[in-house]
Amino acid sequence: MTPLANSLSCLIALGCASFLWRKGSSPYRNGAFLAGFLVLFGVFCYFGGDINDPTLEHYPFRMLALCLCLSTTSLPLYRRRYLVLAQSLWCWIELFGGIALYYRGIDIAWTRIAALLCMTLCSTFLSKISKEMEFCLMVFWLAVWVFF
Amino acid sequence: MFRYLMILGLTLFLPGLYALGYSVYQGPSAWMVDSQTFWGTPISLFVFWIGLAHAGTLLSAIFLALDIKLDRRTALIAELSTLVSLVFAGIFPLMHLGVIDNFYMVAPFLDARGNFANVRSPLVWDFCCIAVYALLSLLFFGVHLKSREIPALDKYRKPLAWLLFPLVLWVHTIVSLDFAATFVPQWRGAFFPVYFIAGAILSGLALVNLLICAEGYRVRLLERLQLICTWILCAIWIWDLILKGYFCTSAFIFAGVLPQLRMVSVIREHRLGRIFFSVSILVGLFLERYYLVSPTAASATFGRIDLGLVAFSVGGFMLLFFGIRRYLNRNMEGAGSYFGEVDGTDLAEAEQEEFEKENFTGVRGIQKLRKGFYMQPWSSEEYRILRFPLLVGFAAAVLFSVWVWSQSVFANVDLSIANVIPLLYPIVAVVTAFTLCVRAYFVEKSFDMTRREKTLCVVLLVLAAACLGTFFAGGSSEKSAKVLDSQPIGVDTPVSQNHARLVWNARCATCHGTDGRFNEKFVREFYPVPQKLDLQRLDSLGADSLVKVILNGRNNMNAYAGRLTPEEALGLVNYMRTLAEMLSENAAPESVKEGEK
Amino acid sequence: MGMDRREFIKSCSLVAVMGLLFGCRKSAVLGDIASQLSVPELKRFEDEVKLAMSQAKKSLDLVKVPTPGALKIPGASTLNRFGMAIDLDACDGCGKCILACNLENNVPLVPEEDAARGRFMHWVDMRGGAPFMCAHCGNAPCERVCPTGAANHTPDGLSAMMYKRCTGSRFCGANCPVQARKFNFNDAQKLGLARQFNREVPLRDKGVMEKCSLCLHRLQNDRLEFKTSLTVGTAAEEWRGRGVKTACAEACPKNAIVFGNWLDDKSPLVQLTKNRVLYAPCELAALDPSVVFMRGRR
Repeated sequence: MTPLANSLSCLIALGCASFLWRKGSSPYRNGAFLAGFLVLFGVFCYFGGDINDPTLEHYPFRMLALCLCLSTTSLPLYRRRYLVLAQSLWCWIELFGGIALYYRGIDIAWTRIAALLCMTLCSTFLSKISKEMEFCLMVFWLAVWVFF
Repeated sequence: MFRYLMILGLTLFLPGLYALGYSVYQGPSAWMVDSQTFWGTPISLFVFWIGLAHAGTLLSAIFLALDIKLDRRTALIAELSTLVSLVFAGIFPLMHLGVIDNFYMVAPFLDARGNFANVRSPLVWDFCCIAVYALLSLLFFGVHLKSREIPALDKYRKPLAWLLFPLVLWVHTIVSLDFAATFVPQWRGAFFPVYFIAGAILSGLALVNLLICAEGYRVRLLERLQLICTWILCAIWIWDLILKGYFCTSAFIFAGVLPQLRMVSVIREHRLGRIFFSVSILVGLFLERYYLVSPTAASATFGRIDLGLVAFSVGGFMLLFFGIRRYLNRNMEGAGSYFGEVDGTDLAEAEQEEFEKENFTGVRGIQKLRKGFYMQPWSSEEYRILRFPLLVGFAAAVLFSVWVWSQSVFANVDLSIANVIPLLYPIVAVVTAFTLCVRAYFVEKSFDMTRREKTLCVVLLVLAAACLGTFFAGGSSEKSAKVLDSQPIGVDTPVSQNHARLVWNARCATCHGTDGRFNEKFVREFYPVPQKLDLQRLDSLGADSLVKVILNGRNNMNAYAGRLTPEEALGLVNYMRTLAEMLSENAAPESVKEGEK
Repeated sequence: MGMDRREFIKSCSLVAVMGLLFGCRKSAVLGDIASQLSVPELKRFEDEVKLAMSQAKKSLDLVKVPTPGALKIPGASTLNRFGMAIDLDACDGCGKCILACNLENNVPLVPEEDAARGRFMHWVDMRGGAPFMCAHCGNAPCERVCPTGAANHTPDGLSAMMYKRCTGSRFCGANCPVQARKFNFNDAQKLGLARQFNREVPLRDKGVMEKCSLCLHRLQNDRLEFKTSLTVGTAAEEWRGRGVKTACAEACPKNAIVFGNWLDDKSPLVQLTKNRVLYAPCELAALDPSVVFMRGRR
């Protein structure tokens, strides 16, 4: 996937994140959104990249994880917990997707995993999450997505 | 009710048992085998049952960890179904092996011959994860049952739940890596971990919904989750379709399309309708696994034995699950308070309504916000309980990795950290849980076990030790001795001593050692230890029969006829004698010296 | 932990019963009867080869590969890496190599229903009109997933099988991109389908995987003869496996199969492939195969 498409994908994830966990929204709505986003990301990958590229196999899921991470900042309750969980999910997808690809001869993106792991650990120490901190977190995730 | 379900289970189980027996006797050709992967129905069933085994821990542990309320009855049913599913999930990978006796070689610890399993293989990870998962699920269920009598135990449930939360996902991730790490084009998928977890969650939910239908009540939250999960899974299937250009239509219809009928309230409110959704999802997911495991198999070859294996697991599950339920109902005091037989559906409904009101309008959240609900980082109670055991667990995992790297087996193998990571969490979990148990036993003063429980503990411990011992000792690779032919060899001109020494060093020394003692390390790795070649034994056998052993082989000794001439063999026998004499001479002065002292 | 004697004995005896049950799972009676059954005639082996050739796959996708170099695994020899090259210009697909391999390595027959499904035990297949066998990949996917380490790599570049260590999980077979591995579905000795033509190669038990070993026993034999012929004390020349030929290479009437040492300049393999274009099956090209195809001149 080209760097341009890659950065476009994180913008899409950012856009999608704003639809999740709106106040008073039913689980149906959120579930449908999640499923819909996944299809959307899949279609985006199909048109944005070469479908035979093995690293693309878990690309939509990574986008979904990024989207979940970004969306946790707007949660009303248990923000720290879900922040950590969403980042763990992203880490999980990267790590095990990486291991699967490693067995087929593709190197694991260790820097990305290490950065995420560090951030997951650090964010467990967060106390009240301020607006500035939210912004910093989002910038960090987007940086990890685009540069690592 | 339970009795009829048990009878139904039994009628499925008995013919299934025949199929299982036949499969074990006949080996893998008994069932439908895919021409490409050599696997087939047992592995489909394994993936299916391990998915169902996620119901309990998923619902009970994850909901507990995330503070989502689930009534005790549903949680216990889910946990019990996990344990019973695990029994069947464990049977299938065992019975599908070609050489079932050798299964212990998959366990990653040293045996007496210095062998070590190949930790790079996803199967080794599988073995560890499932064993640890079964152990911890049993512990979780036990603590849940006991915590009614001993309230002190209740505070251990949440730490255990946090420990099980990653483990349950880990198990299915590893199962997915069995497929995703291969070169089979149909299994191309770095997204398989998420895909399998989603599938497992859906099948687990469907099973629990089915079981609570059998109990005669319903939990709307779980039904909702089930519906939402079908959407997510459909989205994943669409990605699979985009990626590979084909997917399993029947699974899509059964597990994707039909459950959408839940949106029709008439069907949803009827019990048969709810049973239909769950069964349809389970059938769909089984078809999906079947298709996944055997992508190139012709469905025409799905025969009696395959059906029998399916019947075995389904019937066995019903028999075991409802059998335990009946047993608990009868033999446990206050079973009603565990499983809520008495106050039936009303309680669940009321609880449910309250729960829905709280959760989905956000009232509970706002209340908590108002109260100033906030917790300092790293200060929760479950963390304080888990802190020390977790540390021990991580230390054990690090030690294990270091130990693995030092194994001689891996000197010739490219071992990367990615090969060992999947093994680490199960080790962390099992050591942590063990430390937690020890802590609970010593810290909680009110902890008291009945006599039966103590016996159970001792039996389990002894069994575990026996298993470890058997694994360590390893099976015997000895075969029945071949009959020696009785023809005389007719050779009496051995080759020169020098020639014989060269032959000995080249051919025999690998096992028997250059000095006639064993090359212990090599021999133990590959074969049982051979006979000692001391003077007495050589004399008792005689040169003729020794030459025959060399030429024709015996037990684990290979036949060397064709590679060695009979003259060389005779020369070797003579050389063996010289070696034995040298050894006994070396040994003799020592004994004399001891005598002098 | 208070526990009276009765209970202790009870639990101990339970364990003992379990141990007993575990101990009687196997009896040695069957094996003895089996060894006295008649062995199949040579004719049946010849017929089976013909049958297998008539069912052979017609196509084989090949891509160009560079000449194999030294192995990249730790502990690998820098002197030897054995392999083969199959000359597609010379080969006419007569199938003599298959029979020669079967007789050399005691490859058993299969029952009729397996043959009908195309499930033969032959280590050498016919694909695209040329012999096709395990490529002994330097980066072998089968070895990576073998749970017990029964499939492993020798320092000389052979992908070897340790039959006694195999537990029959068939994971290696699933992970071989070209399905070069064969699984012993049947107890060939009991069914009277196996015959030990060559005593240097053991008969395989039911439930283990097997595949082309590049005639490991011949190489091993030569190595040991070489060691024997060395006189002690002189600076030893290293063994390069010169003069060894696999059974299939020996049997080929057109000399289309060339066996040798990729790292030895005097080896016929290196000399004959010098000016040729090398190919490998497209699934294996990235896995550093030792057995390759050659076609056309460079």
